[in-house]
Amino acid sequence: MLLASAAALPLLLATAGCRSWDVYTGADPLAGPPPLGHDVLTLQAVIAAEEHLIDLYRTAIDGDPRTSARPRLLRPLLAQHEQHLARLRARLVEPPGTRTSPSAAHPTAGAGGSGSPGPAPARISTARLRAAERASAAGLVQRLATVEPALAQLFASIAASDATHATALGG
Amino acid sequence: MMAITAVPALQAALAAEHAAIYGYGVAGAHLTGSSLTGAGQDWTGHQEARDTLAAMISGLGAAPVTAQAFYRLPFRVHDAATAMALAAYLEDGVTRAYLGLVAVSDQRLRHFGALAVQSAAQRAAFWRGSTQAFPGLAL
Repeated sequence: MLLASAAALPLLLATAGCRSWDVYTGADPLAGPPPLGHDVLTLQAVIAAEEHLIDLYRTAIDGDPRTSARPRLLRPLLAQHEQHLARLRARLVEPPGTRTSPSAAHPTAGAGGSGSPGPAPARISTARLRAAERASAAGLVQRLATVEPALAQLFASIAASDATHATALGG
Repeated sequence: MMAITAVPALQAALAAEHAAIYGYGVAGAHLTGSSLTGAGQDWTGHQEARDTLAAMISGLGAAPVTAQAFYRLPFRVHDAATAMALAAYLEDGVTRAYLGLVAVSDQRLRHFGALAVQSAAQRAAFWRGSTQAFPGLAL
């Protein structure tokens, strides 16, 4: 019965004025998940960059002596970067079965934040943080040209925040 | 979200610049020293931005919006602290307006808008004395 029905399908389609190859011309549904879209790939790259910036701040704070006043300047900026990351991650929707984004397995606890004893954290200069903020702002502005409008606005806002951080760091 | 067209976004930015020019005039009357100098520089910058935007709008075949004769201030400005708070408020409005330009489909306008967002956010942070995580965005 099933065989007979399948055999009859081209005939039915022909009767209806359709050719069998007109029915569906999209991607093969059995070929696996579709490739990730441009906005998803861009968002993954931006998330990875934001995670790197957060790691840099955590390392800088962990590497400062207890008597240093610098962490009081850096902590509010770090908190804002963590807000950036949360907002960016909330925008990331990956189809099930797609490859894991670089950020998904990325430890967000920065260097020195794992609790395990290790070498003393490296000293990160304020100039390096300032340069990283500027680079982040510039990178976001470059990327916002080709993404959908709401994502472009989020990138522009985060870039502006990064630019104010660079100024707060003396730049 | 659909991309918005260029002229309304440019007009919104121009309207925000008009308001900032008016507001800095009020704020400047209550500032002295380096704060007054800074406000003067920002006032000049907003006038230049106004002229740039007006030319861009005219170039697109539309009539640039004109300034209002009077703007209702968000609070009474009576000393240096309220004058600086007004300056931050004005810059927040300019930041939001330029963020609208970032949603247009023209890539050059997006870039122009994004850089203007950064400048306005920098000025807002200066007057407020602190940075924000999402300048111009409603949370």
